[in-house]
Amino acid sequence: MHIMEGFLPPEWCLVWWAVALPFIIMGVLELRALLRKDREYLPLLGVCGAFIFILSALKLPSVTGSCSHPTGTGLSTMCFGVFITTVIGGIVLLFQALVLAHGGLSVLGANIVSMAIGGPIAGYAVYRLLKNTSVNIFITVFLVTAVADLVTYIITSFELAVAYPAQVGGIMTSFTTFFAIFAVTQVPLAIVEGCVFALVFKYIVQLKPEILEKLGVFSRDQIEKARMAGEPVPPAEVRS
Amino acid sequence: MIQVRDYLLEIITAVAIVVFIALFLAVSSGGSHEFSGSDDVGSQKIAELSGKPVESYLPLIPQYEPPSGEIESTLFALQAAFGGVLLGLVFGYWLGQRKRAKVL
Repeated sequence: MHIMEGFLPPEWCLVWWAVALPFIIMGVLELRALLRKDREYLPLLGVCGAFIFILSALKLPSVTGSCSHPTGTGLSTMCFGVFITTVIGGIVLLFQALVLAHGGLSVLGANIVSMAIGGPIAGYAVYRLLKNTSVNIFITVFLVTAVADLVTYIITSFELAVAYPAQVGGIMTSFTTFFAIFAVTQVPLAIVEGCVFALVFKYIVQLKPEILEKLGVFSRDQIEKARMAGEPVPPAEVRS
Repeated sequence: MIQVRDYLLEIITAVAIVVFIALFLAVSSGGSHEFSGSDDVGSQKIAELSGKPVESYLPLIPQYEPPSGEIESTLFALQAAFGGVLLGLVFGYWLGQRKRAKVL
């Protein structure tokens, strides 16, 4: 989903940087407050960051005959919200821009807006919608992850479409063209990513349910119900 | 007693991955697909839409570019390895905490 360095006109680089900056600042502030409150969140933060690192390095082939990478921002969005995800995703994108020539410093703003802001916002919306319903929490995790992944690519298509409207048909035609390249490739990847994250979430629920409860990701009842379905251990015995 | 219910998510994920690989094999066996990155396909589309060749798009801010595909893949592998190490560390730490809590 990277827009390559030089492929976005300077004025649009500035626009997307301007959109991204408030999110980055908010994210840094939230991150500092969170870690000051409790260092016990640090491992979970590490897991969320690790997944973004791993998944955005994997460029997988898809049905359209081109390769693309998953984003891995869903877990972080659910656990820590949009702003902190912006910071973690931004670090990964900065690394790729500096070392790998994937994206670049001028287009970093645009890439942050798509992968670390837009996708997470969409994922967060899905999460809030399903959080307090009776929907199985693993299905929620699946949907949040898949939506965050897919919307990232839709936003990339949009960013390119507004910068390069087609001569015939304008922005909409351009959008459809880029959408076909990015988003269609992404559909199977988003589904697999959703499954993997639901599985990972199951392990977190089994190993460290108290941290999810403390962060208020899901209620105690929901977490305990999910644990019972996964592993027939009475919750009272393992709670520390 | 192992129950299918307990491993439902593992099974679904495994099936999804197998289907994904099968799709890849089906697509790659028919027709000529390069499996180039969608980033590059996107860049080519930009060139097509604006009528300027891809080479005319120069970085606005000079940047380091890996000199070859090999070096690039090394750097990507390092990125993924870093994530993997971190993941193993944290899950191991949690597992240890859990085990300890059970003993005490």
